[in-house]
Amino acid sequence: MFVASTEFVQAAAAQAHSLGFDEIARVFVAHPIQDRTDDEMRALADAAFEEIVATISGED
Amino acid sequence: MNQVLLDPTSERTPSQRERLARPTKLDGLKVGLLDISKPRGDVFLDQLEKRLRGHNIEVLRFAKPTFTKPAPLDLRHEISTKCDLVIEALAD
Amino acid sequence: MLPDGVVVVVKRDCPTCRMIEPVLAQLDVASGLTLTVFTQDDPAFPVGVGKVVHDDDIAVSYHNQIETVPTVLQVEDGTERGRTVGWSRDQWESLTGVHGLGADLVDMRPGCGSLSVDPAIVDGLRVRFEGSKLHARRVQVAELEDEAEAMFDRGWSDGLPVVPPTEARVLRMLDGTDRAPDDIVAVVPPDLVECTVEKVAINAVLAGCKPEYLPVVLTALEAACTDTFNIHGLLATTMPVGPVMIVNGPIRHRIGMNDGVNVLGQGNRANSTIGRALQLVIRNVGGGKPGGVDRATQGNPGKVSFCFPENEERSPWEPLHVERGFAPESSAVTLFPGEGPRGIVDQLSRDPESLARSFAACLRTVQHPKLPIVFDAILVVGPEHGRVFAEGGWTKAQLRERLHELTLLDGQAIVRGADGIAEGVPDWARDSQLPKFRPDGIVIVHAGGGAGLFSTIIGGWANGETGSQPITKEIAS
Repeated sequence: MFVASTEFVQAAAAQAHSLGFDEIARVFVAHPIQDRTDDEMRALADAAFEEIVATISGED
Repeated sequence: MNQVLLDPTSERTPSQRERLARPTKLDGLKVGLLDISKPRGDVFLDQLEKRLRGHNIEVLRFAKPTFTKPAPLDLRHEISTKCDLVIEALAD
Repeated sequence: MLPDGVVVVVKRDCPTCRMIEPVLAQLDVASGLTLTVFTQDDPAFPVGVGKVVHDDDIAVSYHNQIETVPTVLQVEDGTERGRTVGWSRDQWESLTGVHGLGADLVDMRPGCGSLSVDPAIVDGLRVRFEGSKLHARRVQVAELEDEAEAMFDRGWSDGLPVVPPTEARVLRMLDGTDRAPDDIVAVVPPDLVECTVEKVAINAVLAGCKPEYLPVVLTALEAACTDTFNIHGLLATTMPVGPVMIVNGPIRHRIGMNDGVNVLGQGNRANSTIGRALQLVIRNVGGGKPGGVDRATQGNPGKVSFCFPENEERSPWEPLHVERGFAPESSAVTLFPGEGPRGIVDQLSRDPESLARSFAACLRTVQHPKLPIVFDAILVVGPEHGRVFAEGGWTKAQLRERLHELTLLDGQAIVRGADGIAEGVPDWARDSQLPKFRPDGIVIVHAGGGAGLFSTIIGGWANGETGSQPITKEIAS
């Protein structure tokens, strides 16, 4: 699976489709990324963690 | 423009590439974290690693040489042989 | 449906059409005549005519088989009663009933190609107008996928590259048969799938066939899927066998098969792709693949493709299909459950008896020298060997009879343990003589190049009820 910022929603769908893999698993995190502090990055990771785990496994 | 081909098979299986079946539990599995090497992504992945290790999941770290090109063949092969699951991040 | 009256199909990009533009205006005002002009390219052409229809998708031209512009049609009750192509004053006046047309023009001038037959667009037109008769699932190759890799990835290949089965290619392949695309050809094992003419055509495109090869492939598939031939068993066995196709009759040369030098080898498109198409149908439609239902321990290269024509013209004997009851002027395909070919060298026998003995010595070892009855074989007699029998005056029947006599096996030599070899027949056969081959077990054909004192044996799989038996079918179009 991949993690991308919300800016990538359309592009990811298009890329997946053109590679014949519409189903590829993905999780989106809030944009922007580049100007965030380390603490903000960690918070993003924490916020996305449950969804990431659910996406790669059958676990909830 | 996508090329259209006629399916030569009996059509009893789907034609699109499918995801592999997801495991029911993560423990005992090796999760690879692939850094696409855009700035700040490493901090994100460090935190994911910390959280995954907290769940008793083995984590392996990898990084692409550059985010501007697809991952090199050797790296892809290494990941596919060493890991059960892969999380690739962080595209922005 | 065409409108009644006089219909003319034109395109501006045609000097003849431009030349007769005034004639169209003449027809338009002629009393008692209803004129409709279909223009293929420019809706503003021609001027001076009341009813001009722009055939912008070329549908009208396509469906009315317009090959030339201008074409003049006379239509009554929606049906075409007559047509003329190009400009000819006599023809136009006769068809329309109007006289004095184009008085200042030359008497005749040929037209130009209609857009509906333009090579640059005709494939697209076919797909648009005939594509609906294709029912197979459409598979989109993603933009960033390499189409050759995409087909390997989807498992459609036998290990060698395949030709992308586009709608245009499959429509062209279907021109090779009169059968409807949705006709069921056979129920194909192992998945027992009803296989249509269309599915065979798709696999024939994959294989690299030309449309004229399709009837051979269709007939071979019908033959393969019979109880007699038992393609399912042949596929599932651990023995190294697959379907071997022998083609007879006029179709061989009509479609360019090679029955001479290197007849069993590479290099001829028809030989190679026809055999391949049959195997691709079994793989892709039937679902029979190595590692799956196909459990061959070692297999043989002939399982990619094994199809060859008999060399009838130089043969001293009647062709195989005639021997099996078909008319000489008919074309037929015989299927045999066979392994890879094995050579026979005999460069010294000048009389038929000696050569027959050579053949027999080699035939005795088919699958194993100590195993009788259960395996058939094809004997492919090369032309130089054929000449020995011709000069000695031996018919095919005589050769066959002598081979059966010479391949009678002595029980003592073939029982288990004899010669220190555990394999063999049970001890109760010790005092018998057992035939190596059952009465119809040696199939004799003639093929190959004119130089070389060599022949070939193609050993068979298990014959009889549980195995497979050779079958011959006539090839219809």
